[in-house]
Amino acid sequence: MSKQYLSRGSADNAHLVDIFSLAITDKQILSASGASSIKVHSTTDADFPLVQSIDGAHTIGCHHIVTNGNGSRAVTAGFDGEIKVWSCQDGHWAADTKLTADLTGADVWAIALSEDGQYLAGVTQEGRINVWDLAADGTRIRDHETKGNFGTCIDLSPDGRLIASGHDDGAVYMFTTETGRMPFSLLGLVNPVRAVAFSPKSKILAAAGDSKVIVLYDTSSGEQIANLSGHSAWILSLSWSDTGEYLLSSSFDGKVKVWSMETKTCVATHSETDKAVWNAKWLPKVGKTEGFATAGANRSIAFYREATG
Amino acid sequence: MAMAEPSTMNALEIDDGRDPSVQEFIDNTLAALIRGLSQTPAEANISITLKRRASPMACIINPITGALESSPRVETHRKYSWPGKTAHEAWKFTVILRILAILDQAIRTGQLISKRDIYYIDPEFFRVQYIVDHIVDDLAYTIGVNRTALNVEAAAKGLVTGDFRLIRGSHILIDAQSITEDSLIPRIKDGDEIDISRVRWVLVIEKEAVFHRLARISYHTRALAGEGIMVTGKGYPDFMTRTFLRALSDSASNQSRHPPRFYALTDGDPHGMAIMSTYKYGSAAHLHQNARLSIPRLQWLGLRVTDIIAVPEVLGDTALLSLTMRDRKKIVAMLRNSPVWASDGPEPEWRAELQRMLVLNLKAEIEILYGCQGGLEGWINRRMFRQE
Repeated sequence: MSKQYLSRGSADNAHLVDIFSLAITDKQILSASGASSIKVHSTTDADFPLVQSIDGAHTIGCHHIVTNGNGSRAVTAGFDGEIKVWSCQDGHWAADTKLTADLTGADVWAIALSEDGQYLAGVTQEGRINVWDLAADGTRIRDHETKGNFGTCIDLSPDGRLIASGHDDGAVYMFTTETGRMPFSLLGLVNPVRAVAFSPKSKILAAAGDSKVIVLYDTSSGEQIANLSGHSAWILSLSWSDTGEYLLSSSFDGKVKVWSMETKTCVATHSETDKAVWNAKWLPKVGKTEGFATAGANRSIAFYREATG
Repeated sequence: MAMAEPSTMNALEIDDGRDPSVQEFIDNTLAALIRGLSQTPAEANISITLKRRASPMACIINPITGALESSPRVETHRKYSWPGKTAHEAWKFTVILRILAILDQAIRTGQLISKRDIYYIDPEFFRVQYIVDHIVDDLAYTIGVNRTALNVEAAAKGLVTGDFRLIRGSHILIDAQSITEDSLIPRIKDGDEIDISRVRWVLVIEKEAVFHRLARISYHTRALAGEGIMVTGKGYPDFMTRTFLRALSDSASNQSRHPPRFYALTDGDPHGMAIMSTYKYGSAAHLHQNARLSIPRLQWLGLRVTDIIAVPEVLGDTALLSLTMRDRKKIVAMLRNSPVWASDGPEPEWRAELQRMLVLNLKAEIEILYGCQGGLEGWINRRMFRQE
C-alpha cells in the first residue's frame, strides 16, 4: 500500500551553499551547511519561519549537527575540525563555551548525541570511535579502534546500549557502550557506507550508502534481516519515524523514499529536485499525521506532511 | 597554497628589460656593504633587508582586477646580517650577495639567465634550487619589479595548439594556423598583438597527457562548439603560460561580437581546483604579479566529483578515488586560508565542490572520462554546449 506525502512549504535558499545536515527538536529544525551560519526554523508555524541565525558558527562551514531528545542541547562539527556545543533556552540557542572548550582537539568527523544529551559519540577520519561524557566536563570515556578506515557516519541507539559506525570501505561496526566490545562482526556493504541509524526500540540497525541498498541488521544477533532495494543512486541519509513503522532515506539523485517496516517495501517516493538530498529527517507528529523535512544541494529545506483521508 | 612555479616574465610595463631601479638597488646595496666593511666591527652594520611576500592568509581578491593580491597593510621585512648570529644566517647573507653579483653581471652584459642557470653556477654552495628561487623572487619583490627586469627568465613549459596569430609590430610573427603540431607557448612581448578572432573557445587543461590526447585527435578543429585553442601549463602554470593566456583573454575583450569562451579542465581534486584558481586569480606565491596575469573570464568546465557520480553506469564505482589525509588537509587549508574559497568570496560553487569532496571523501581524475560515452571529447562537447 502506498502512502502520500504532500508538500507543505519550504524554506527556500535557507543557506547559500549545500545543506549537509538537519537536526530536529520538538518545535524547531536546525540546519548546517557549507556556509558559516546555522539556521533555526520553527516547525510549529505553518510557514516555517526563520527564528534564529547563529552567524559565524563555523567559519569554513559545518557538516554535522545533532540534538538530544528534548532539544536542549546541540552539537556541531565543522569542516575546520572544530566541535561546538550549543544550548537552548526558551527556543533560543547560545554557544556553550565551556563544553566547547572541553572538547577542543576532539577531531572527529561524524557525531551522534545520546537521547539525554549526556554522551557524545564521534568517529574519526582514521575510523576510531570516541565517546565523551558531557556531564563530566567532556571527559573522553571511550576510544575504540576499528579496522575500518574513514568514518563517514555514526549513531547511538535510543536505549543508550549500542554505538554503530559506517566507513568508507563499506564496513559497519557495532559496539556495546557498557563494555566497549563488539558483540559480533557485521557483514558490511561492498561500497562506502554513508548512513547508519538505530530504530526507536534499538532492535534494528539500518545501514546504507553507495551500494544503493538499505541493509537492516538485528541488533541482538547481528544477522541481516532485510535488504531494501529501490534507490538508483547513492543513499546519503536514513531516519526512523517515532514509532519505528517507517524508514526515510534520501539519495544523491534527489529522490527521497519512505519504507514500510511491516512489508519491507517502499511506500512513497519523492523527487522534487535532481540534486543531492544530503539529509532527510522525520518531523515531530502533528496529531496523528507524520511528516518529514529534506535538504541538500538545492540549498532549501522542504517540508512534507502525510495526506490524510 | 604553496605553489612551485618556475620563473619568468611579464614585460607589459617594461620596454627593454632595463629598469633603472634594479641597478640602483644593486649599487646601493653593494656600496652600503663596502662602507660597512671599512668601519670597525663594533659599529659596522653589514646587512641586507628584503621585503617578504605576504602569506596567503593576508590575501584579498581585488574587486577591480579580479586577482588574488596582498592586502595593503601587511608587509614584512627580513634582515640578513653578516656575520650574523648563526652560521646559517652568514651563509644566507652570502647567498644573497652571490646572487646579486650574478644578476649584476647578467644585467650589465644584457644576458638572460634562468634560476636553474644560477643554481648550476655553484650547486654545492646554493644547496637546493628553491633557495635560489626564493631569493630571486624576494629580490624582485623588494625592488618592486618582475623577474624579467632582473634578466631572469624560465625555459618555456606550457604548450598550445589551435588557430592564433601573433603580430609584432607590423608583421605576423607566428601564424599558428599553419602549425599542425602542438608547440611551446610563445613569449609575449610588450606591444604584441594576438588575433584569435577565428576561434570560439579556449580550453585551459591541467594535465599534459590530457592535452596530448586531445591534440592528437585535433579536437581544436573538430569540437562541436567550433574551432578552438588548447593550452596546458603542465600542472601549476608558469608565468609564460599565464602571460600568454592573459594576452589571449585581452584579445577576446577587444572582440566586440561573440568573444570566445575560456574554459578550465582540471582534475576533480584539491590540486586541480588550486590550479584553476592560479589561472583565474593568480598564485599566492607571486601576489604582485597577479593583477597583470589573472583571467577573470575563465569558466569551470570540470571535472566535478558530482559529474562522475551522475554517470556511474558507464564508469563503474571504481572510477572514483578516496581522498588521502593529505588531500583532506589541503582542502581544509584552501577553505581556511584563501579568499577565493571564502564564504563571502567570488566562487561559492568552488567552495561547495571542495566541501562535497570532504563529505563524500572522493576525488576524480580527468582520465576517468576516457571511458565515458563518446570519450573525453564527447564529454567536453556536451559540457561546452551546456555552458553556452
